[in-house]
Amino acid sequence: MSPVVAHSPALSKLSQSRWPHRLAAALLGLTFPLIWIGSLVTTTQAGMAVPDWPNTYGYNLFLYPWQTWLWGPWDLLIEHGHRLLASAVGLLTIALAVALFCLDGRRWIRWLGIVAVVGVIGQGVLGGMRVLLDDRTLAKLHGCAGPAFFALCVALWVCTSMWWTNAKRRPTTGGLERLTLITALLSYVQLVLGAQVRHIALGARPDVFQMLVVMHLALALVLLAHVTVLVVRTVHHRRDQPALVRPAMLLGVLMTVQVGLGLATWVVKYGSPAWLADWGWAAGYTVAADSMLQAMTVTAHVATGSLILAVALVLALRCWRLADWGRQAAVAGSATLLGVTT
Amino acid sequence: MMKANSSWFWARCGLSGTLLGMLLLGLTGCGEAPPARFRLNMVEMVSSEMSRDQQIGIANVLTAAFGTPDEPFAMAEAELDLKKLKAAAGAVASDQLGNEVGLYRRHCAHCHGISGDGAGPTAAFLNPYPRDYRQGVYKFKSTERVARPTRDDLRRVLVEGVPGTAMPSFRLLPDHQLDALIEYVIYLSMRGELEQRLVAETFDLDEGERIDQLPEVAEITKEVVAEIGEKWAQASDLVINPDADLAPPTDRSPAELAVSIAAGRELFHGERAACVKCHGTTALGDGETTDFDDWNKRLFKLSESKPDLDLAELGALPVRTIRPRNLRQGIYRGGRRPLDIYRRIHAGINGSPMPGSAKASPDAAVGLAAEEIWNLVDYVQSLPFDSLSLPPEQLVAPKRERL
Repeated sequence: MSPVVAHSPALSKLSQSRWPHRLAAALLGLTFPLIWIGSLVTTTQAGMAVPDWPNTYGYNLFLYPWQTWLWGPWDLLIEHGHRLLASAVGLLTIALAVALFCLDGRRWIRWLGIVAVVGVIGQGVLGGMRVLLDDRTLAKLHGCAGPAFFALCVALWVCTSMWWTNAKRRPTTGGLERLTLITALLSYVQLVLGAQVRHIALGARPDVFQMLVVMHLALALVLLAHVTVLVVRTVHHRRDQPALVRPAMLLGVLMTVQVGLGLATWVVKYGSPAWLADWGWAAGYTVAADSMLQAMTVTAHVATGSLILAVALVLALRCWRLADWGRQAAVAGSATLLGVTT
Repeated sequence: MMKANSSWFWARCGLSGTLLGMLLLGLTGCGEAPPARFRLNMVEMVSSEMSRDQQIGIANVLTAAFGTPDEPFAMAEAELDLKKLKAAAGAVASDQLGNEVGLYRRHCAHCHGISGDGAGPTAAFLNPYPRDYRQGVYKFKSTERVARPTRDDLRRVLVEGVPGTAMPSFRLLPDHQLDALIEYVIYLSMRGELEQRLVAETFDLDEGERIDQLPEVAEITKEVVAEIGEKWAQASDLVINPDADLAPPTDRSPAELAVSIAAGRELFHGERAACVKCHGTTALGDGETTDFDDWNKRLFKLSESKPDLDLAELGALPVRTIRPRNLRQGIYRGGRRPLDIYRRIHAGINGSPMPGSAKASPDAAVGLAAEEIWNLVDYVQSLPFDSLSLPPEQLVAPKRERL
């Protein structure tokens, strides 16, 4: 059994109340559907279904006739729905920040709560400006900021948990902690690249899109390799820590699903690749524009990307929380894998 | 030591992140979002040695005749419905009643491009490339080879899509949206055709003269647009309608069908129809595979005649050869009805090496008679069910023997 080190006595005083963690969990529970719906807005190009902001067709956002919203056109349904859900996320973020301020003694997490409030307001303003200016670059930034805010919610959720408070430091394995962090960073970079592909300007040259897609694919391969190594090493080095093994396994599953969704996204958008053209199924396949299958596949690919970032971040935060950098765990041999030395 | 390593690691992370962020911004452009505007056909401009000044002259005439992507305009001579054009043009938006505008940018522009040049952002990945509308040349239609397609032809492609390609089926769009898209596609074609004619007209001008500064520019433009509009208006008069008396009856016996298939097989492999030249003796599309469609042939010839010309820089996609159809798969991009296949054989496929095979007149010495075309239709339709097309485990004799 590896030696363990308790955290400083100050830690035991932290997070006495469970409310911040509950609110953070609720925030996560609302933010993920918000990312789905936001992604659906982009997929179905419904962003300009409501031309004003912060009002909806002149009504206060919350007073817009619900019958018109629910039984109106699809684009209006999801764009206004996206705004309502975003407002709920904003209010919950404020509630969480207040709860952190009142119930959590840690100064840095109070600041993190304030950052979340600033972030959610900033994201809302960005979305509003995207509508008012009908600007594709702002839409791209809005699409990149969404997962970043989701990651912040994940961080708040992890850091307010009992596990975080009670965690005992373990000798570091060296590479594992860095690997988790790099995987989380790469997941976000991949999301940003995906947003560039998705929001490509209509006047862009074909070779720009081609380069972005190639980069997105190349990074997907790198990420796949990273996640594979991460799962193997987490299971190997931290098998006695279900709080690490579970997210690592989940990350592996999500990554596999995501690769499948990525391929499916291409097929439902652009048909089968040319090298499959001679296969009977591919030769006769016709893409169905604006179908529910197309919308949901593309949206699921985007949302799963955010989920991968979230799980990678959970793993990274927990790994770093456990790491006692003063001591190195005894590891049989030394190997270099993807530039990470154990 | 560990602390120093850790600091170094964070510094590296920060540096890498900054560099990556700069790379991403550089790649995509920070706040680039170029305004929607029609691009000139730069391949035509440069290959025809149009000066910058002359290009501006042509662009001015085009804007006067057809407006901009946000504010389309059509001269009366074009016979286009401006209301439909306005629904298809502009930025994507919708209202509380579900009325949508910007349909072309929503559904088409990412592949076909804002100008309809077939070079939208996604085009380089697609095979075949998206259609370049600017020549008014369309492959899958019911009309004679060089005739424009009818609106119904364009509607059929929109509704059915083109199997095996990235062209989707827009079956889920309401009729009025399909109508608007069809009108806009014709609009882009007409605009592109006018552009080509203006290049030709400018070519004949004296050095330094600009077409938009000629006193008679309005008359020239009206005349050319009227000519182009006339071609589109005439399309419905040029639909290929085979003689019903010569069409095979629907209640043919298996023996009669077998006779027709055998006759079609003879023609397919014979010299008169010479289908095997491209489709191969196996009909797998493995005959002549080094030919080009008209769009790529033009670029290929240009690259041969002017090797210094950087076609990619001018917005052209890399040149590609065209693949003859594998007829054993039973996938027909222009439609699977016998009538569709009849029309493909009769008029060929415009813009592709597939020639028209019909006789120019009933008494003509060369070409195929209507009965012979129907024989070929029967043979082509029988190919997916031929034993050679079956999976290997179902084969009863070696391929060579059965050929």
